[in-house]
Amino acid sequence: MKQRCINCCLSCVLAVLALCLCSARATAQGNQTTPRTADGHPDLSGLWIGRAGANFVPSDDPLAANLASRDATLLNFERDNAIMRRADPNKPLYKPEFWEKVQKLDQNGNTEDPSFGCMPGGVPRMGPPAKIVQTPKELIFLYVSPAAGGWGDTYRVIPTDGRSHTPLDDLDGTWKGESLGHWEGDTLVIDTIGFNDTSWLDITGYFHGENMHVIERMHRDGDTLTWQATVEDPDVLIKSWTMNARTLKRNPDPKAVLAESLPCVERDLSHLVTKEHH
Amino acid sequence: MHCGTRSLLAVAGLLMAGMAAWAHHSVQAEFDLNKPITLTGVVTKVEWINPHSYLYLDVKDDSGNLKHWAFEMAGPGALRRAGLSRADRGGLKSGDTITVNAVLAKDGTDSGLIKDVTLPDGRKFTIWTSDPNAR
Repeated sequence: MKQRCINCCLSCVLAVLALCLCSARATAQGNQTTPRTADGHPDLSGLWIGRAGANFVPSDDPLAANLASRDATLLNFERDNAIMRRADPNKPLYKPEFWEKVQKLDQNGNTEDPSFGCMPGGVPRMGPPAKIVQTPKELIFLYVSPAAGGWGDTYRVIPTDGRSHTPLDDLDGTWKGESLGHWEGDTLVIDTIGFNDTSWLDITGYFHGENMHVIERMHRDGDTLTWQATVEDPDVLIKSWTMNARTLKRNPDPKAVLAESLPCVERDLSHLVTKEHH
Repeated sequence: MHCGTRSLLAVAGLLMAGMAAWAHHSVQAEFDLNKPITLTGVVTKVEWINPHSYLYLDVKDDSGNLKHWAFEMAGPGALRRAGLSRADRGGLKSGDTITVNAVLAKDGTDSGLIKDVTLPDGRKFTIWTSDPNAR
């Protein structure tokens, strides 16, 4: 009898616990507005730029915040921006033999940065996409140039069908590499190899090697999409580098479209007379 | 004054935000912000390109010699936000006489960065302001 009472109490406790859990889950689901596809994954489809019908893609880069300029001068604005970027404690840690190279590239960024001359940004510098089309077996990422960005309209096709990477030696090194996606819970994980060593990771001289491995993670919460990339490059880095996360807002206008980027033709670099840059 | 303060500030903000976001070349690495110039001339070509659009102007100097000037300019989106509509951009077509306020390039070439343009009908459009806080 005593044992039955204990069992009964246990059952009650478990029932209450289960009820609480169910209630919590229901509450969470009630707040959760992330749509899902038929296969149960979060639906990342949509236009992930901030304003309806605009062809300007607002930056969500925390280091591209609109700084107040000291004395309201453009000179201070540019210089403060440069300092802010380099003061970011989240830096890739290069092996000591590459420290001088990174500094030289940064100091001579006006002529060394491939993106200044209309070359692509490449993965991961190109950041999160402006538009995502999600299908059961692949994701289509569409990119446009940010403001005066030179890389123009570009795309990525990312299989999520469970295939394996092509052996690295069989891949031609490219700007975007070979990307494969898979789901870890509700997070989309994109694994990319097969790069050239021409692109940079950021404006500050952060070069990389051909054996770079990039892991991007994307997670949707309602109308917010978070993107974060981790760079592994044991040839040049002491340890992997996780870049600052970027957060995008879904464009609420169903009629909003991606604007066509202007073609990129560099006219300025031959006129630069100082090494100053952002 | 067709271009209101609001659009002017918006453009300034967008230009600055764009610069910070993408950060193409530094403005002061190429242009001298303390050397303003006002020129009136005939548009010979407009290039709608990234990273910066370009406007070419034939200008007669004090000696009557024709000089070919090249000016860095904002893209069509920024011009539209400055109040310069697609129809208005006809005002920038080849053959039109316009007046530009700009800052000079540091390398001594006949080039600069446009701050505003005045169309043949007198309407003035501010494309760029040197005050980054004006947004």
